[in-house]
Amino acid sequence: MNRLRFLWLPIVVSFLVGAPVFWAFPEGLRFWRATAIVLGWVGCGLLLASLLLMVREVRLAIWLGGLERMTLWHHRSGVAAYLLLLLHPLTLAADGWQESPLLAWQVISPFSANWPVWVGWGALLLLMLGLSTTFARHLPYGSWRWLHGLLGIGVIVGFVHVLLLGISMAALLATLAAVLLLVWRLIRVDAGCAAKPYIVNSVHPVAQSMVEISLRPLATPIVARAGQFIMVAFFHGPHYRGCGEYHPFTICATGPGAEFSIGIKALGDCTQQMQRLEAGVAARVQGPFGEFLAERPATPQIWVAGGIGITPFLAILRSEPLSQPTRLLYLFRSTADAAFLDELQALAERDAHLILEALPTGAGIPNVEKLLPASDLLSGKECYLCGPPALIESLSRVLKDRGVGEQNIHFESFDFR
Amino acid sequence: MTRKLFIFSTIAFWIAVAGLGTTSVWWLPAGQGAAQAKEQTISPADLAKHRSPENCWMAIRGAVYDLSTYLPEHPSRPDIVLPWCGKEASEAYNTKMKGRPHSPYADELLAKYRIGLFAKVP
Repeated sequence: MNRLRFLWLPIVVSFLVGAPVFWAFPEGLRFWRATAIVLGWVGCGLLLASLLLMVREVRLAIWLGGLERMTLWHHRSGVAAYLLLLLHPLTLAADGWQESPLLAWQVISPFSANWPVWVGWGALLLLMLGLSTTFARHLPYGSWRWLHGLLGIGVIVGFVHVLLLGISMAALLATLAAVLLLVWRLIRVDAGCAAKPYIVNSVHPVAQSMVEISLRPLATPIVARAGQFIMVAFFHGPHYRGCGEYHPFTICATGPGAEFSIGIKALGDCTQQMQRLEAGVAARVQGPFGEFLAERPATPQIWVAGGIGITPFLAILRSEPLSQPTRLLYLFRSTADAAFLDELQALAERDAHLILEALPTGAGIPNVEKLLPASDLLSGKECYLCGPPALIESLSRVLKDRGVGEQNIHFESFDFR
Repeated sequence: MTRKLFIFSTIAFWIAVAGLGTTSVWWLPAGQGAAQAKEQTISPADLAKHRSPENCWMAIRGAVYDLSTYLPEHPSRPDIVLPWCGKEASEAYNTKMKGRPHSPYADELLAKYRIGLFAKVP
């Protein structure tokens, strides 16, 4: 990623935080009251940034350094806003405390007959409830998604709190921006208006609980490279009833007529259902996103794939011969889970640059210290990792311990919750 | 990491709120009442002399308050509050928003700016 694209995201977040604080910076107020006002506006700015970063548009994602980075900053700015907004009422109380402890409670008491205070409490409780469900990862994705929406309602209620305080222009602009971003997300992303219509062309089982699906465009196709990922929702077919949720999948091959194929592993209720997909099922596709493996230097490389994480590497190998020495370490639970193994072995025989190591590791995260090459063999190599988040974390830690620089470790984790 | 931060900060917040919510149980105000005995009585004519933003007195519920230093901190727009400087403003104070009075917090805060009793015209 070039430096400008790397900087755009912090610049945008800094602007959204800095502009309201600059506009509303308190002068001549006591320290704690001024601090409370600044905390409130910084929290509002971070909430706006968090809303902007959940808008899933191709151009925006390219501009801000990718969907994964946007999602990471969406989480960070949302949690930072929550922490500062928790401090907002407490610092207001600290201002009252200077007069008397009783006054400190009166400032924030939800029992006072005061609409701004009631609405402020309502917003904070909605944010609290929304974030607590956000961190409840055991929830099924469908329920989780709807409960996550409480955060959006909390943000709007929070801006109503600012409006009720009589702060007209800035609050009105911020509320309009928040509503616009939420509506944009709901219409373009959740309702799928930005998605292109496709139809399932063929379905092939490639391993235990994993299928490869070929998709054909029904209108203007997306322009994607092999190895990029897309968000796909499957709907109904002759005998299939889809769940209609958008999930990320890597494009593992592109074909004639703008067709492409994706690998789907059963990782949850919806992807389990997708194992029964059939030709003729309607689909909608958003994207493409991601540039993992797109800007590979000419230096020797080490690729490590865990399970379904093989798909971006397979996509590159299917699309073009390698131009740099590459060692592919493919980890899977058992032979029954080793998707595309025969094809990978055939590709390795044909491509002199490719060395394939395929290893069954059993259930759980394998001992990667034994699997990765020693420090001297890692020197000067670019490392690309794709697989479950726990495996990526473990691999990254060992690679760093063995002297590989952070800038030489690249990964894609698909963590969009 | 962020999950732990969320849990820790939320618990700490509720402990702080619970502590503030119980102030009336453990904190007893002292030294009130003695000052009121010596209060001056301010006439409507005297009150009317203090009607600028820098010198703003208001009569509210039978007492006069010097709000000159507080006005910059008042949350609403200046054009809502300033017209009441130098006047009897109980009605405005009691019907702040949709007929609702100011909060107990505002009552508590107002007491700090009290300078005398308001002598109503008979």
